[in-house]
Amino acid sequence: MSVINYANKIIDFKIVYYGPGLAGKTANLQYIYRCLPNANRGNMISLATGDDRTIYFDFLPVSALTVRGFQTRFQLYTVPGQVQYNATRRLVLRGADGLVFVADSQFERLRENVESFRNLEANLHEYESTLDEIPYVLQYNKRDLSNLAPVTYLEFVLNRRSTRVPFFEASAIEGKGVFDTLNTVSRMALASEFGVGRERRHEVS
Amino acid sequence: MKSRNTVIQQQDATRIHETLTRFLSESGAAEVLLIDRGGQLLAMGGDAQALDAVSISALAAGAFSSTAAMAQLVGEPEFAGLFHEGTKRSIHVSTVDDEAILLAIFDQRTTIGMVRLFAVEAARAVGAVLGEARSRPKPAAEFAAPLNDTESGPAWTPRS
Repeated sequence: MSVINYANKIIDFKIVYYGPGLAGKTANLQYIYRCLPNANRGNMISLATGDDRTIYFDFLPVSALTVRGFQTRFQLYTVPGQVQYNATRRLVLRGADGLVFVADSQFERLRENVESFRNLEANLHEYESTLDEIPYVLQYNKRDLSNLAPVTYLEFVLNRRSTRVPFFEASAIEGKGVFDTLNTVSRMALASEFGVGRERRHEVS
Repeated sequence: MKSRNTVIQQQDATRIHETLTRFLSESGAAEVLLIDRGGQLLAMGGDAQALDAVSISALAAGAFSSTAAMAQLVGEPEFAGLFHEGTKRSIHVSTVDDEAILLAIFDQRTTIGMVRLFAVEAARAVGAVLGEARSRPKPAAEFAAPLNDTESGPAWTPRS
C-alpha cells in the first residue's frame, strides 16, 4: 500500500523479497546496502536467529529519484523462507506494492521454489489479493553455482501465469543481477501509480 | 491490497499534526509516530525527527502484527495495546483502525496510564482523518499521465 504524502512530497512503497529458505533474499538486501551511498539508504535491520537465518524479516529503506515533485522511497523487506515461519511470512507481505520472487537455481531446490511460489499465492489470497494486482519480478539466483537448472526450465516452472513477468539471472552474493532486479520492480511499482495502470505489468516478449 | 493506498493531502497532514501535538501536550509523551500497519510511517510529532523513525515504524508494525496474530490464537480479535517498558524510556503502541497504529515514546515525566488514556482519544481523531483520506479518489493532477522514459529509468546505479 503506497503512501502518497502531499505535505512532505514523498511517495513510500513497500517491496517484499519472497522465496524459499536460503535462496538469497537477505543476500540481495546486504548487497544493496553495501553498494548504495549513505544518502540513499537508511539502516539495515535483520531479525535473524543465531545462525543468521531470517526469523521475521530484514528491512532496508532506500530512497530514489524525485518524480513530478515527489521524492520516491522504497522500503525493502525479506520474508523468512523456512516453511515453518508462514505466519510471520504472511505478516510481512501485508501492504506490499511490489514483489521479488527469489528462486534458488539449483536443480535440487526446484520443488522448494514451486512450493514457495504457491505459498506466496496462498498468502496473497489471505489478503484478498493476487499476483495480477501486484507488480512482481522473478530472480533466478545462485547462477554462480554448479548443478543449475536451465533458465528456460525455471521459466517453464515459475513464470507460467497468463502474463509473463521480467526475470533476472543473479548471483546475489556477488551482486550480479541485484540492481537490475531492484530497478525493475521499483519502476513497475512506481509506474502502477501513474496513468491508468497501463504500465502496470511489463510483458516479456 | 493494491487499491487501498493512502493519499495524505496538506489539510490531512495539518489536522493529524494538530492532533499529535495535542496528544503530546496532554499525555506528557516525548514522541509520537502514526504508522501504517504495513510498516510505513505516516506522520510524527515531538522530538521524533531525532529518531530512526522509519526503522521504528517497520519494527513496531511487525511487533504489533505478530501480537495481533497471537491474540487470535487465544480467541481475542486483537490486543488493543502493546507496552514495552524500559528503564528510562518506554513505548506504547495502540490501534487506530484496521490500517494504522499509534506509537508513543515516553519517560518518567509521565505514566503509562496517561499515555494510554490520551492515546485512545488521539487515535479516534487521526482515524477519522485517515478514513476521509482513504475514501477520497486519488488526485489526478500529477498522477494522470504515465511515466515518461526519463522517469522510468533505473533509480540506482551501484557504486563500484
